[in-house]
Amino acid sequence: METLFIQIKTLLVNAAALVLPPWGVTLSSMIISALAILGLGPLIMMYLTLMERKVLARMQNRIGPNRAGPWGLLQPLADGIKMLTKEDIRPSAADPLLYFLAPILIAVPALMVFAVIPFGKGMTAADLNVGVLYFVALSSTTTLVIFMASWGSRNKYSVLGGMRSVSQMISYEVTLVISVVPILMAAGSLSTQTIVESQSGRWYAATPWGLLSCMIFFICGLAECNRSPFDLPEAESEIVAGYHTEYSGMRFALFYMAEFMNVFSICALTVTLFLGGWQGPLLPSWLWFLIKTYLLIFIVFWFRGTLPRLRADHLMGLAWKFLLPLAVMNIPAAAMSHFLSEPFSTAVPLAILMVSVAVLSFFNKGYAAEKRVYHFTD
Amino acid sequence: MKNKTDTPLTEDFDTQTLQINVGPQHPATHGVFRMDLTLDGETVVRLKPVMGYLHRNHEQIAENMTYAASMPYTDRLDYFNSMSNNFGYALAVEKLAGIEVPERADYIRVILAELTRIVNHISVIGFLLNDLGAFFTPLTYAFREREKILDLFEEIAGSRMMCNYFRFGGVKRDLPPGLLERIRTMMDVFPRFLDEFEALLTDNDILCLRCQNVGVLGRELALNAGLSGPMLRASGLGYDIRKVDRYSIYGRFDFKVPVGSKGDVYDRYYVRVLEMRESLKILDQALRQIPSSGDIISRKAAPFLKAPRNFKPPVGEAYGRVESPKGELGFYVVSDGSPQPWRYHVRAPSLINLTVLEDLCIGHKLADAMVILGSIDIVLGEVDH
Amino acid sequence: MLELIAVKGIYILMVFAAAAAFASSLLPNLFHGALALAAVLLAVAGLYLSLGAEFLAMVQILVYVGAVMTLVIYAVMLTGRLEETVTPSGRIQRAAAGVSCAIFFVLVCGVLLSTNWPAAPGGNPLPSVKDLGIDLMKRHVFPFEVLGILLFAVLIGALAAARREKS
Repeated sequence: METLFIQIKTLLVNAAALVLPPWGVTLSSMIISALAILGLGPLIMMYLTLMERKVLARMQNRIGPNRAGPWGLLQPLADGIKMLTKEDIRPSAADPLLYFLAPILIAVPALMVFAVIPFGKGMTAADLNVGVLYFVALSSTTTLVIFMASWGSRNKYSVLGGMRSVSQMISYEVTLVISVVPILMAAGSLSTQTIVESQSGRWYAATPWGLLSCMIFFICGLAECNRSPFDLPEAESEIVAGYHTEYSGMRFALFYMAEFMNVFSICALTVTLFLGGWQGPLLPSWLWFLIKTYLLIFIVFWFRGTLPRLRADHLMGLAWKFLLPLAVMNIPAAAMSHFLSEPFSTAVPLAILMVSVAVLSFFNKGYAAEKRVYHFTD
Repeated sequence: MKNKTDTPLTEDFDTQTLQINVGPQHPATHGVFRMDLTLDGETVVRLKPVMGYLHRNHEQIAENMTYAASMPYTDRLDYFNSMSNNFGYALAVEKLAGIEVPERADYIRVILAELTRIVNHISVIGFLLNDLGAFFTPLTYAFREREKILDLFEEIAGSRMMCNYFRFGGVKRDLPPGLLERIRTMMDVFPRFLDEFEALLTDNDILCLRCQNVGVLGRELALNAGLSGPMLRASGLGYDIRKVDRYSIYGRFDFKVPVGSKGDVYDRYYVRVLEMRESLKILDQALRQIPSSGDIISRKAAPFLKAPRNFKPPVGEAYGRVESPKGELGFYVVSDGSPQPWRYHVRAPSLINLTVLEDLCIGHKLADAMVILGSIDIVLGEVDH
Repeated sequence: MLELIAVKGIYILMVFAAAAAFASSLLPNLFHGALALAAVLLAVAGLYLSLGAEFLAMVQILVYVGAVMTLVIYAVMLTGRLEETVTPSGRIQRAAAGVSCAIFFVLVCGVLLSTNWPAAPGGNPLPSVKDLGIDLMKRHVFPFEVLGILLFAVLIGALAAARREKS
């Protein structure tokens, strides 16, 4: 079981070797990996939509989709057919090129990110030695595409959504990158595979600085892929659907797909960087990876089902006034734990972080909830 | 934490304002309400409410029909609270014609009015949370409880929302057997639900952040704009018609009127929660005091049930008002001695409460405008009567 | 075969980069121009990648495409003249721009031709990310720190400017 997928691939490559010259074998090996990734993206997206609807429904005392197939398992297919057969509408004022390109371009980085995710032991499509940086770099290009979509569709709601999205992504990207630094310091590598292997002793999330890093990374990741409670760019109660207001049918589906694939890759990367990746006892590595990832995805849906939305200024305040300084303070804390010996290597970072949290909370006490007293009259 | 921007951030830039149209078809507006917004960035600098999309000529229609025939039309004013609307209209006409209401009918009326208040407040809070972006979860929780009460209404009146149950001088028919016990069981469970609901919402940091000091309505403005209901009470004025007029039999119950301090969205939310708890108190007392049998319609008015055209109140005028869940709901009826009212006017709390919308929203963000609108609690059927 | 593809790929990227560069300066619509500039930067990142400089490529995408381009587009949006298809520029302005570009091109060509490019030694020709980091923190620590202080000063300056506007 452990090497199931690797064996399948070896089998296919060997079969190819019978008919193809050596360079063709290398090429076919690459193509098989690429196809696996390309197929995986839409598949993950389709079933994440079903999972989200089911999870949300259960949280809201509902049953969720249950008409198409057992437990609604064919629902994503039905949705896909519906999306494909819908009329393709282009607003007459829209910029044709940008409007047409944006949905395609938004799906590309979302798919490309999958290349560096270690789905299991030796199951990274491309084990780049700059893996983490690759992820960050690719996800940063999404801002441009959102701008294209929002500006290209010439809709005021879209422009508002695009503006919100971009300012949000810029702010949270800084924090996201800085929150990964302690892990890179500890692992001494940017390669995702190496980072997972360096956690064979204990997960990074089991250390104080690692846990903080993990939380900041996850929060920023949520903001990066516009998920609740940071879903301002698509706030349906304010700006209809934000930057993809004017999109329908298959083009809308591509935006939707990119969003879900981003959720998956953020969760997968959190698992990889902080939660030991595919490491785990008994079960095959890829199964461990999927279990952990889907648990995190469940948490994402849980947030969606429970939390109200932040407002733009609160969102910025959270990123710049709280998370960013905390992520910066986390770097010396992680360094301390590297240079000190056992009792201190936990205690000192813990102390640094607690002091930082306390100081930051003091400076941010304007954001704290007021306690109110209500009186009654007769 | 500043909510109002003191100066425009870009004085030396030549920036443009953005005019956007929220509604009548927009996921956030409550019904077919339109807000003509001018934004500077995301800050609201001008807001023009546009209403009338649901105008149905309610008052004119009522003037061309018998008194009794208007009763089902009042259901459609604020379609969340048909019982309270019936109550107000019945009070006005009873005052006009000098009809006394039997005791049991009075109790039934109060019980139903308070149940309606709970239905309304719980749904308003659910919708408010939806405006805040909590994806339908609080709303579905609220609607689960609302359904239970609507089931009771269905048993009583035959309809869940358009109850048309009140008659001049009483109510349409007696309660079905065992209903009071069912209300009692529902009431025993409801505080537990309310506690759970509050545990999830009241101290939630995001909710507090979004609601506190947002859309502050000063006491002066609230008074001058003629507001009423929870909106007014959240601004610190303990004005409740149930206490002021002690209409029907409200004088017999021991309950209090919760009052807010700041007048922001959070106060409006929490005042409603507290009002639900007070309503439960009233229900509890009413269920204990209600006579087990008796007339449900006054002897004087009973004959007109079958022959509504014979109902001709003496020449005169009357104004009947109730504390509907949204505020002061008043009906002004003038009779010229004919079977039809000569003049019929509704004082709709939704409409009057809505007038302060622009004052509350200016200087806030677009996102806040939606929340403020949600906290005002309007139903377009009543705004555009 | 694969090497062949890689070599051909470089040429394709070069042509693409040049075409996008022309587009970015010639397109009448400012927004389109900005996006073409993003395409240039992406193509350059691709060139780095094909030369084996993965780290540089990623930083190029992250910093230029992700951050700088977004700021450029923000600035473009602030100009508020997006719909206007003709950018107002005089004849003299164009001539000056053309001349300065030509001079710059000649200068760059001169430098490129006069530099004695050292051939990459055998074995591992490219420094790993680790080597880059160690180099940055040991050999070039002084310029690195100076840069850091400079950026910090800029940050404080920007904060001060923003503060003053508010009060």
